[in-house]
Amino acid sequence: MAAKDELLALRYRLIPDRLLGELLTKSWIDNVIPALALAVTVIIMTILIPGYLSAGNMADLGRQVSEMGLIALAMTVVILSGGIDLSVGSMFALCVLTALTCMNVAGLPIGVSLAATLAAGLLCGLLNGVLIGYLRLRAFITTLVTLVIFRALYDIIFPRLASAIVGSFPTSALWDLIGFGDFFGVPVSFLIFAVIAIVLHIGLSRLRPGWRLRAVGGARRSAYNAGINVKFTVCMAYVVSGLLTATAAFLFSARLGSTGADTGVGLEITVLTAVVLGGVSLGGGRGSVGNAIIGTVLVLILSNSLIRLSMPGSVNQLILGLVLVAAVLFDRKWIKNRSKILSKVYVSPTYLPLRDRPDPGDDDYLAVNDKLGGVELIGLGAVEGPEDVILDRDGNLYTGTRHGNIVRFFGPDFKRHEVFARIGGHPLGLAFSPDGDLLTCVGGMGVYRVTPQGVVEKVTDETNRSLLSIIDDSRLRLPDDLDIAPDGRVFFSEATIRYDMSEWAVDALEGRGNGRLICYNPHTGTTRTVLRNLIFPNGITMCRDGQSLLFAETWACRISRYWFDGPSKGRVEIFMDNLPGYPDNINRGSNGAYWVALLGMRTKTFDLAMRKPAFRRRMAKRIASDEWMFPNINRGCVLQVSEAGELMDSYWDKAGENHPSITSTCEHRGWLYLGGVSNNRIGRVRIENSVPDWTIHQDYWGER
Amino acid sequence: MSGSIVPEKSSQNFPAGETIEVSTAKANRDGAWLFANLAKSQEGVVLMLAVLAFFGFSLFLPSFLSPGNLLALVRSVSILGILALGMAIVVIGRGIDVSMIATMVVSVAWAFVLTRGGLDLELALVVGGLFALATGMAIGILIAFGEVPPIFATLAAGSIIYGLGRTFFFKLEMQNIPPGYEWFSFFGRAQIFGIPVTVVTFGVLCVVVHLILSRTRFGWLTYAMGNNPEASRITGVPVRPMIVAHYAVSAIVAYGAGLILASSTSAINARLFNSTMIYDILLVVVLGGIGLSGGHGKVRNVILGTIFVGILLNGMTILNIDYTVQNLVKGVVLLLAIVIDSLINPRDEQTSQQGDL
Amino acid sequence: MKLGHLGISAMAALVATVTATATLAQNKGLENPRSTSFHETLEGKKVVFLPLSMGFDLTEGWAARMRAQADRLNYDFQIRDPAWSTDAGTRALQSLIGEAPDLIVAHNPDIQSYARLLAQAQAKGIKVVQINLESNTQTDSYVGADWTEIGKQAAEAVVERCGEGKGSSNKVAIDTGVPTAASDVFQLDGIYKVLDQHPEIEVVSQQATEYNPEKARSIMETVLQQHPDLCGAIGIWDNQDTGTASAIEQAGKGDQVFLVTSGGGNRVGCENVENGMFDLYISYNVPLQGDILNAEIARLLLSETKAGENKALYFNPLTQITKDNVNQRNCWTLDEIR
Repeated sequence: MAAKDELLALRYRLIPDRLLGELLTKSWIDNVIPALALAVTVIIMTILIPGYLSAGNMADLGRQVSEMGLIALAMTVVILSGGIDLSVGSMFALCVLTALTCMNVAGLPIGVSLAATLAAGLLCGLLNGVLIGYLRLRAFITTLVTLVIFRALYDIIFPRLASAIVGSFPTSALWDLIGFGDFFGVPVSFLIFAVIAIVLHIGLSRLRPGWRLRAVGGARRSAYNAGINVKFTVCMAYVVSGLLTATAAFLFSARLGSTGADTGVGLEITVLTAVVLGGVSLGGGRGSVGNAIIGTVLVLILSNSLIRLSMPGSVNQLILGLVLVAAVLFDRKWIKNRSKILSKVYVSPTYLPLRDRPDPGDDDYLAVNDKLGGVELIGLGAVEGPEDVILDRDGNLYTGTRHGNIVRFFGPDFKRHEVFARIGGHPLGLAFSPDGDLLTCVGGMGVYRVTPQGVVEKVTDETNRSLLSIIDDSRLRLPDDLDIAPDGRVFFSEATIRYDMSEWAVDALEGRGNGRLICYNPHTGTTRTVLRNLIFPNGITMCRDGQSLLFAETWACRISRYWFDGPSKGRVEIFMDNLPGYPDNINRGSNGAYWVALLGMRTKTFDLAMRKPAFRRRMAKRIASDEWMFPNINRGCVLQVSEAGELMDSYWDKAGENHPSITSTCEHRGWLYLGGVSNNRIGRVRIENSVPDWTIHQDYWGER
Repeated sequence: MSGSIVPEKSSQNFPAGETIEVSTAKANRDGAWLFANLAKSQEGVVLMLAVLAFFGFSLFLPSFLSPGNLLALVRSVSILGILALGMAIVVIGRGIDVSMIATMVVSVAWAFVLTRGGLDLELALVVGGLFALATGMAIGILIAFGEVPPIFATLAAGSIIYGLGRTFFFKLEMQNIPPGYEWFSFFGRAQIFGIPVTVVTFGVLCVVVHLILSRTRFGWLTYAMGNNPEASRITGVPVRPMIVAHYAVSAIVAYGAGLILASSTSAINARLFNSTMIYDILLVVVLGGIGLSGGHGKVRNVILGTIFVGILLNGMTILNIDYTVQNLVKGVVLLLAIVIDSLINPRDEQTSQQGDL
Repeated sequence: MKLGHLGISAMAALVATVTATATLAQNKGLENPRSTSFHETLEGKKVVFLPLSMGFDLTEGWAARMRAQADRLNYDFQIRDPAWSTDAGTRALQSLIGEAPDLIVAHNPDIQSYARLLAQAQAKGIKVVQINLESNTQTDSYVGADWTEIGKQAAEAVVERCGEGKGSSNKVAIDTGVPTAASDVFQLDGIYKVLDQHPEIEVVSQQATEYNPEKARSIMETVLQQHPDLCGAIGIWDNQDTGTASAIEQAGKGDQVFLVTSGGGNRVGCENVENGMFDLYISYNVPLQGDILNAEIARLLLSETKAGENKALYFNPLTQITKDNVNQRNCWTLDEIR
């Protein structure tokens, strides 16, 4: 039996089941499949074609990628905006004609030629942009028509200039450099492409115009209602498409110095194939420069290699068609099912053994009593979700609410209240700094400070990224409780890095050490994670030695002590183990005691479930989440614990009418104030044998 | 085109059919009212342009109005018209079929190759027809069950069909009608009561498609699907089998057009697949007033589009305008038509659909 | 020592031979060292054919001939098919330069697109033969039709029919292919060299069809409506001119319009002469071109000269095919030449 459990524990320690789900949450996972397809293609071609990876071949590929890649980028920009540009092929032909006419026929300097080519692209793009952006024509049919028009123009002009273009060579070193030159084996045209791609990538992913473009493509109506100039943004997408196509045309002209009747014919289809293959979704909003490049390289490698393998052109077409179908099919199914798969595999339970616990009724201190039966209620119905409560020196009561506010109740009767500060997220743990600032952990946001005047400032919202975690754990997802060390350092717990505020209870199903203890140092302004792999670390409170703190791990039902200073710095020691319930916040009390709020009591069934991870996994996969088995958080109590970790007293609400579930406590002048994350009230109750004028301020920071 | 769920509220073409029918009834009473109504839709605009062009050419080009020329006019665009009929059915059902040309050339060319290989032409034609049907159904299945957007499914299918044909069915792109089957080429050049068979076929097909669309359950369901695929699915329209049927029909129509084309030019050239013919078909459909968002449009839209393109091309031909310039004019006119339409019926930011190309 | 040894063996061999000959009195012939070296040199060489596209009579015909010789002489023959795309063609050529086969047979889409790349290939030591369509760069060899000559012959035939005093109009239409291709550039030159001497001939249309019969058909249809009294038409290639011809047939002007075209002499083209669609068909005889091409390939592979050192060219003879002389000898099918 024990051996079996050992094996189970080992299995869950060694096999990182959770990684699959975490991988699926990453946005770059969309790019992985095309990238893998590319890698596989390259490997196959390397095997089939001797010398495939030679420098010369790569340089050739680089040149081709730079031309087609630019057009693929043009297409990507337009598709991101929610449109499509079928006219790129004809536009390309017109721009090539412009470039060659300038260089070969008119003999203009290269700068002027470039400007003329770009101007041609700009004009074509502007035509599309005005029609689709400002006149709100449909992209597909409009660019189809401009495709016909541009092509007709090319067909009219080209024969008249053909012999003149073919008949002369421009003599420009720069022109030849762009066409054939290389720096250390890297073609010049590829360098130009790389620079443009990087600039565009930054523009699309890091700058405002790119965000607006994605917003318009992803949710046009919302973008419009959010005040984005949709018409302008769409128009600019086509203009950029024109400019990029013109650049490609310039590179092409420099390389070949000629153009044929079929230049650019069918290019739009090749490029569309490339872009979709790379993972840019038709319909807008999803896709990146990386997608476009991967797709372009893939299509070029495929078509070049098929030609090189002496395949007939028709086989080439057949295979490209099949690849396109497969890519689109995959894209559709992927978008449709990704979130379904994710919801099935994300919850990843692990083995968590909890020792058996005698019935609380047999315990002198723990037996159910009705000390909370007569609590006074404060702010009934006025607060929702007062996770933590705290009182200031003047006896005013503060608490956070689910609506994202901190509410202040004025002492001594707490009848009156006001919104003290608007935070924007649900404030959880609260603590006062010596100078009267109220610090709070805000779910989903970070640690914030509120000055006595009610001004809200961010303290920290990120910590150091751990090297090997797939989830980006540098952002704070669920900071829970905090306390302030004598030197001003702020220690706070983050309950879990895998779940957001709204689904914190799901973390209980995993039972893994997903949480951590983080320290913010105001002297250096840095935030560093100090302890990892804690099982839902929740309440934190400073010990009176000024060198250590207590922290509760909710699902592990234990409280540990951690020395952050002094001779035993870094040590972690169990303070209380095998608690009868799930500990939440810990706070200091009078007479050197600590108050521990138990969110709910343990049950035998759930303890058993925690030893059966496969059962919980099956449950998470097969049944709806509202039917999952969760830990009991409906009925808890408050424990009074001595400095040595011994149980001194307990407070229950026997009838379960006022305060069955408690997440925090605060002792103030002989009263114990009670908060609960799912309550709509704050309670207070007289404490027997307390020091009548003890306040938390005094205990922490001494007299004023 | 896209699987958008929101019903189309903007009035691209919606009021077109109704208003015009009503307006012709009352035309005698109020000419200005008719004009105002005509100008309210793209169809009306194109109709006015067509009438304008027709009278303009009749007045200034003496040879335009001769019966011979008018016949030549219709004849020159009737194959385009036939293909556009097939396309129209798919487009009304909120799809698009850009693989028609590939289906057309490959199935016909294969039939010819089989005949040269010793099969009877009649039998070979049946085989070609079955092949066309099979490709159409395969495309339909890909779209209906694979949920691939029609534009991509048919784009890829075109290239697959063509590649398949060139690789396995025939080596040479140019396939003459096999010798010994003069009746086949006669068929394409024959005349019935002085009217070329091509034109007669187009006319008959127009009637048939009109009856299917307006008198049969298949037609009604097609409109329902195009208008609001999601709602029609919920209300019990067999959307998926219908989609398969649409593409099967368009493939068969393409095959028929291919046969007529082959018999009138006495050969079929697979390179037609690389030409811009598919765009011309789309232009005819859209120019006639069938919006690509589906659910709207009638056979008379196809006829209108076809005739308008015919009038334009014929007039310009008589005017001695270059073939390439004609293409330009065609493009510009179409562009004007949709621009005017958008000015008359501007799309609203609040009601436009996501992913609606 | 070695020499002595050799001498002795030679003597022995000689004696043995003489004796053997004398005793058996049977003639087994002489070994031809040139035959051995011919075969040995060619064996294992690599020849790559870069056509405009496979799938039409010319390239399939040449390829069949070249493959037959490659099989016979044991060298490697490959085809890179860019399927009508100039872009894919240049990409294929670029990768060929890296790959460095012994010889490239190039079929140019126009006179400029491959020109620079062909020069690069030769600079890298790859020999280049151009077939039927030249580029601006003259390479080791060109085999194919003399387009100027074809143009002259076609124009003369049309002048013969539509010139002064023939009782018809003098209107002539010209359907070109791709205006930058060698076939167009040089053929037009040939045509106008003749037409310039006959100012009465009026060229009413000269448009590019991009080798596309459907486009050719539309153009001819247009031209015939503009000029119902058209007398002659010169097409640049039989494949596209089936379209031209059917437009003429459809208009019922098969007897009135004299259509001259040129092509590889495929059976399909001949069928069109038989059924009266083409009036004159100037054939450059693909099987013959294939044979000449083979001879050039073998010559260049055997030759010690460097790529690009010597430049040769050969214009193959042309055959004028009309209804009167259509026969099996002038026409070919792919199955026959395989």
